[in-house]
Amino acid sequence: MDLADKAVGLLLSGISLSVFTYYTFWVIILPFVDTDHFVHKYFLPQEYAILIPVFALVALLCFLCMFVGYVMLKSKKKKA
Amino acid sequence: MKHILKILALLVAISAFWIGLLQASVIPESYTWLLPLYFIVSLGCYGVLMVGVGLMQFPTCPQEALLLHQDILEARDFLKNKGVDVGSN
Repeated sequence: MDLADKAVGLLLSGISLSVFTYYTFWVIILPFVDTDHFVHKYFLPQEYAILIPVFALVALLCFLCMFVGYVMLKSKKKKA
Repeated sequence: MKHILKILALLVAISAFWIGLLQASVIPESYTWLLPLYFIVSLGCYGVLMVGVGLMQFPTCPQEALLLHQDILEARDFLKNKGVDVGSN
C-alpha cells in the first residue's frame, strides 16, 4: 500500500511544481518577451492568468459556504 | 480575541506595503497589480507540495504492524476462552 501512497504523493508534488513554474513564467517572465517570439503560442492570453485563479478561489469559497450550510441544516433537522 | 487582532494587523501591514509599492513605482505598475494574486497562487502551490512530500515520506512501520497483528490474535483467543466472541474476519 505504501507504493500507492508514494505514487499519489509524487503526482501531487509534480502537479504543484508544474503549476507554479507555469504561472511564474506566465505572470513574470512573459511581459518581458517580445510579442512575436514563438513561446507566446504555449501560453494563453494574459487576461486568463487573472481570471482562472480568481474563478477557482470564488468557486472554492462557494463550495465551502454550501458545505457549511448543508452541515448546519442536517444537524438542525436531526435535532428536531 | 488577541489572535484575530494579530492576524488583522498582519493583513493591514501587508496591504500598506502593497499600496506603498504601488505609489513608489519601483516595479512596473502591471506587476504590482498582479502581485497579491501571484502570492496566493504560490501559497496554494506550496501547500499542495508539502502534502505531496509528506505523503511520499510517510513511514509505514511494517514490524510494528506485524506485532500489532499478533497482539490482536492473542487478544481474540483470550477473549474467546473467557466466552466473548470478537473474531469475525
